[in-house]
Amino acid sequence: MNNSPKEQSNCTFIPVKHLETIKVFEKKSDCDIWNAFNKGDEMAFNYLYRTYVHKLFQFGSQYSRDSSLVKDSIQNLFIYLRKKRGSLGEVTNIKGYLFKSIQREIIRNIKSNTSFEGFEENFLESHFQLEVSPEVSFIKNESEDERKIQVQQALNQLTTKQRKAILLFYEEELSYKEIAEIMNFSEVKTARKLIYRALASLKKYIKPTSY
Amino acid sequence: MSNYTNHKKYEDYEFEDFLSDEFFVQWVKSHSENNLHFWEKWLISNPQKREMVTEAASFVRSIQYKENFEFTDEAYIEVFENILKVDLETPSISSTHSKKEVWYSFFSVRRVAAILLIGFSCWALFETQNFSESEKAPIEWITKVNEAGKKTVIHLNDGTVIHLNSNSKISYPKTFTDSIRVISMEGEAFFDVEKETRPFIVEVNDAKVEVLGTSFNVNSVVEGKLEVALVSGKVKVNDKLGNQVMLDPMEMIVLEDNGKIYKQDFDVRSVTGWKDKYLVFTDDDFDTVVRKIKNWYGVEISTSGKFNTQWAYTGQYFDESLENVLEGIAQTSKIKYKIKGKEVQITH
Repeated sequence: MNNSPKEQSNCTFIPVKHLETIKVFEKKSDCDIWNAFNKGDEMAFNYLYRTYVHKLFQFGSQYSRDSSLVKDSIQNLFIYLRKKRGSLGEVTNIKGYLFKSIQREIIRNIKSNTSFEGFEENFLESHFQLEVSPEVSFIKNESEDERKIQVQQALNQLTTKQRKAILLFYEEELSYKEIAEIMNFSEVKTARKLIYRALASLKKYIKPTSY
Repeated sequence: MSNYTNHKKYEDYEFEDFLSDEFFVQWVKSHSENNLHFWEKWLISNPQKREMVTEAASFVRSIQYKENFEFTDEAYIEVFENILKVDLETPSISSTHSKKEVWYSFFSVRRVAAILLIGFSCWALFETQNFSESEKAPIEWITKVNEAGKKTVIHLNDGTVIHLNSNSKISYPKTFTDSIRVISMEGEAFFDVEKETRPFIVEVNDAKVEVLGTSFNVNSVVEGKLEVALVSGKVKVNDKLGNQVMLDPMEMIVLEDNGKIYKQDFDVRSVTGWKDKYLVFTDDDFDTVVRKIKNWYGVEISTSGKFNTQWAYTGQYFDESLENVLEGIAQTSKIKYKIKGKEVQITH
């Protein structure tokens, strides 16, 4: 990035303008933002890119450590969406839609890059690893730390699908409906069950003893 | 609300029911007016579930990706530019009508890119800037002081709203700098901070409370003790020793002068009720009750008689007169009082 003093002095007022455009969209529904994008509103594209690109990279990197592959996939996805402006369908949850799309794009790219058969099953084993954040234990005592280790062990025993669903549900704040769509379940209740089973197997570790 | 497979009511919810509830997770992870309103009210009327809710919320928040893949600034700009480049290479339809549109979008696209780039270098700039450096800039500061009996609401030009309690003081720059929003305070204040990229920092008792967009209460009324209670959003508290603690919603952190730091739950009404005209006593000892009344009404209080350490008072008053409050306390706590103008006598 260019950090010349000239550019620095410019920043006294311009970012404020930029902020305002972001704010305008922050208050709008996903539907409205998507419609604006579909109609060719560049600020809406700007907003989408800025809001979701980091998330897409983090999610996409769960499938491939090849960062240039993930980067290219994101680029292709946005190029595709921009080309389709004017004829894009309605989207009520942008994040869910983009996650589903980037997943498709990345898997397609991985498949075309490698001759690896049946990658989806094997490949996923090591991915979507999750952990319990260390921040949470701030006030808790040592036995709490011990429980955390147990929870981590329990988390490690979850299936890849369960881990993925849990990350999408808690970390990405997606609904059961969106999770079902991303994971290609025909029914929402399959996603619900998946999470519920994962929680059941974690239950004895995460459930506080006092209840 | 949302659609559940189990039709249990929230009050019958068990730990795992909360964990699998979309509306609950939504509230824990990102507050909106919709969910905040419901859950605040629900917690007040279901105090027995508070501990379970806190535990469930902490589990929800603790789940994260094990590996973090950072999308670098270079990649951010490169991908953005590549996406836009494609547009310019393929001007789609070639009717005279749409030609004009292509030019239009050409200009607006470049403008977007420029704003974005400058926005970025700016971000880099204030990321590397030290807080203390930016404070040295010659800025005109405004100071507001509330004496006992007076409360004010201050609207800052960034949209932040501050409720300043009585016997409290606050100083803030006439206009914030482009990189940071710093204010300093004594006493007690409730902040509803406008969300934006400039960090908002409250300096109080050598500690710093750093926020993005959030509402929280800062109380340094009791000597040697600082309490920061977070209602929504996210707050980072740095004490003078360099300890740094993140607060999640419905958590309160207490910093004591002896270096002790601890987190605890809090009751929204008793901590922040003052800004909505609720005078709240929660198991308060006599000295605390006297201090609160003095501050609230701006009166002098003289006491006589003996108050043992067991004496405690709990009660809530909404926008009540001094006399009604004293009468309320007198009825349950065997005190007698006399009001003479701005002076109150309490005997036991």
